[in-house]
Amino acid sequence: MATLLQPEKVLYLVRGEKKIRVPLSQLYFCRYCSELRSLECVSHEVDSHFCPSCLENMPSAEAKLKKNRCANCFDCPCCMHTLSTRATNIPAPLPDDPTKTTMKKAYYLACGFCRWTSRDVGMADKSVASGGWQEPENPHTQRINKLIEYYQQLAQREKLERDRKKLARRRPFMPQAFSVNIHTTEKYGLGTRLQRQRSGAPISALYGLSLKEGEDQKEITIESAQALDEVEPLPEDYYTRPVNLPEVTTLRQRLLQPDFQPAGASQLHPRHKHLLMKRSLRCRKCEHNLSKPEFNPTSIKFKIQLVAVSYIPEVRIMSIPNLRHLKESQVLLTLTNPVENITHVSLYTCEEGDPDDINSTAKVLVPSKELVLAGKDAAAEYDELAEPQGFQDDPDVVAFRKSNKIGFFIKVIPQREEGDVTVAFKLRHDFRNLAAPIRPTEEGEATSEAIWLTHHVELSLGPLAT
Amino acid sequence: LSEETESGVVKIAAGAVVCVESDIRGDVTIGARTVVHPKARIIAEAGPIVIGEGNLIEEQALIINSYPENILPDAEDVEPKTMSIGINNVFEVGCVSQALKIGDNNVIESKAEVGRNVILSSGCIVGACCQVNTCEVIQENTVIYGSECLRRVQTERPQPQTLQLDFLMKILPNYHHLKKTVKGNSTPARS
Repeated sequence: MATLLQPEKVLYLVRGEKKIRVPLSQLYFCRYCSELRSLECVSHEVDSHFCPSCLENMPSAEAKLKKNRCANCFDCPCCMHTLSTRATNIPAPLPDDPTKTTMKKAYYLACGFCRWTSRDVGMADKSVASGGWQEPENPHTQRINKLIEYYQQLAQREKLERDRKKLARRRPFMPQAFSVNIHTTEKYGLGTRLQRQRSGAPISALYGLSLKEGEDQKEITIESAQALDEVEPLPEDYYTRPVNLPEVTTLRQRLLQPDFQPAGASQLHPRHKHLLMKRSLRCRKCEHNLSKPEFNPTSIKFKIQLVAVSYIPEVRIMSIPNLRHLKESQVLLTLTNPVENITHVSLYTCEEGDPDDINSTAKVLVPSKELVLAGKDAAAEYDELAEPQGFQDDPDVVAFRKSNKIGFFIKVIPQREEGDVTVAFKLRHDFRNLAAPIRPTEEGEATSEAIWLTHHVELSLGPLAT
Repeated sequence: LSEETESGVVKIAAGAVVCVESDIRGDVTIGARTVVHPKARIIAEAGPIVIGEGNLIEEQALIINSYPENILPDAEDVEPKTMSIGINNVFEVGCVSQALKIGDNNVIESKAEVGRNVILSSGCIVGACCQVNTCEVIQENTVIYGSECLRRVQTERPQPQTLQLDFLMKILPNYHHLKKTVKGNSTPARS
C-alpha cells in the first residue's frame, strides 16, 4: 500500500513547548506523563561514539581527545566515501644485499567510488597496512592552543566572581547543582539549552573550557594579533590565467578541511572519518528515559524503546476518491491497535474556533459511534482458522475488520476551490498504563486504570480532482 | 544490398575467447586476448567495429555502431563509419557504448552509457550509471563519477586487468562453448 511510504499524510499534534505536527512514526510516548513527545521536547544525551565503517566503540573521553574522529578509517577528500587500503608489490633492494631486489608490499589508500588514490596528492606508499597515515599538521595549532588556554582562564575567573556574588545572596545550604541559576550562561558557553548540568553528565561541547579544581592559576599572556600594512600582491596573470577546471576544488571539498581549505585538488589530503554517536532520549518533565539504545554498535535493538506506534492507535489513509468542491465524498481510513487489550476509540470533529485546527481546508464528518479494536495477538498470523470476532459492526461505518485493524469511512466536504484538502479531527482512546504501580486486589487479578487520551490528528488528502 | 552487408563476417583473432552465447552481428573484428562473456552484444549496424587486444567485455554489455537517430537506414549518403576500440578496455556488466572511437585502458563501469559523439581517449573511467552523451573528446585519465557525473582527473591510468583476463581465459572454456577463431599459430579453440 502506498501509504506505507508516505507517512507524512497523517500528522499527530504534539503539545509540547512548541506545537509540532509530526507523523506518529517519529514520535515517542512517555508512559509516566501519558503524553506524546517529539524530538523537540525531549533532551538528547550522547550514549556512545562509534566509527561507522569499522564499528569500533570509543568512550566519550577518548573521542573528545581525538576530535571525534576514528583512528583507523579515512574519508576520501574528493567524494567523502570511505577509503580502502590496497597493496601493490614493488621491487625493493634487500637490506643485506643492495644488488638483489625482492618484492615488498607497499600500501596506498584508494577510493572505490571516484578512484582517488593517495598517490594523487603525492603521499608516498607506506609499508604498513594501517597506522602509517598521518594527517597534515595545522600550521596555526600552537597559536590556537595558547588562545584557548588564555580564554579558559579568563572564563574561569569570571565564573568564580559571579558565583561569589550569588553565594552571598543564596541560602548557604542549597546545593549548587539544583539551583535555577545554573541555567544562566557560562561565558563562552553555548546557551542554556545545552548546559543542563546533570550530575556526572555535562553536555556542553565546551565542557573542557573549565579548568580542573585546584589547578594553579598561572598567568598566561598572549600577544595580540599584528595587523600588517603590506599585503602580498596578487600574481600578474591572476585575471588572465585560464582556469584548470579539474584542479579546482569544490566548496564542499574545501570546507570539509577547514584547517587548510585548499583551492587545488592536488592538496586535498584525506581526513580521519567522523564518529557517529548513539543517543538516548529523556522526557524533560518526568526525567524518565524514552529511548535508550544498546551499547554495542553492531546491535540495532534498544534497551528502552517507548515509541508512540506501540501505544497509540495509528490512523492510515487507505483510499481517497475524487474530491470535489463542496461535494461530500467518503474516504477510507484504517485504524490499527498496537496494544494487546481491546481499545475503544471515538472520533470527534474539531469545534469552531479550536486553536489547534489551523490547517484544515475541508469539513469532515466522523462516525459518531465508538469503534472497538481487538487486541494485537502475536500468534494470530499463524492461526489460519481464526475465529470470527464477535463484534457487531455497522456496515456504513466499518468497511472491514482484520485482527487488530479496522477500516472505516469518514465523509469529507472540501470547502475551498483550489489547493490541497486537509482535514483534522480528535481521536480519543483508552490507555491502560502498565507503568503505574498495581495495587494488589483481593481477587488476585491486576487491574490497571484506564485513562482516556485525546490526540489531534490531521490528514492531508491531496489535491482536488480536476 | 543492405541485407547482405548486414550480416558481415565476424573475424575473431586467435587467442580471443568469445562465448557462443554472445550476440555478434555485422562486420566485427576482435583482437587477440579479448574476452567476450556470454550475453554480451556487439552489433555493427551502420558500419564495422574493430576491437583491439586485451579487452574485457562482460555480460549484457552492448557495443553498437548504430545509425544516428535522425537518419533512416536506407538513405544513400550515409557512409559506414568504423567504430574502433583500442586495447585493454573494460566494458562492465550492462553498459552501453556507442562511442565511435575508444582509446586504450578505459573502463566503462556497470550500466554506464556512452553516446555516439563521445571520444574516449586513454585511461578514462566512466562510473557506474553515468550517462555521457555530450559531443566532446574526454581528456586522458578522466574519471566521471557520481549521480551528477562529476569529473576529476587522475594522475595515473587504471591498470590493465591482466590477472582477470588470464583467469577468464582459463576458466570460461570449461563452462562455455566458444566461437571459432580465424586460423592462427596456436591451436584453435573448440567450437
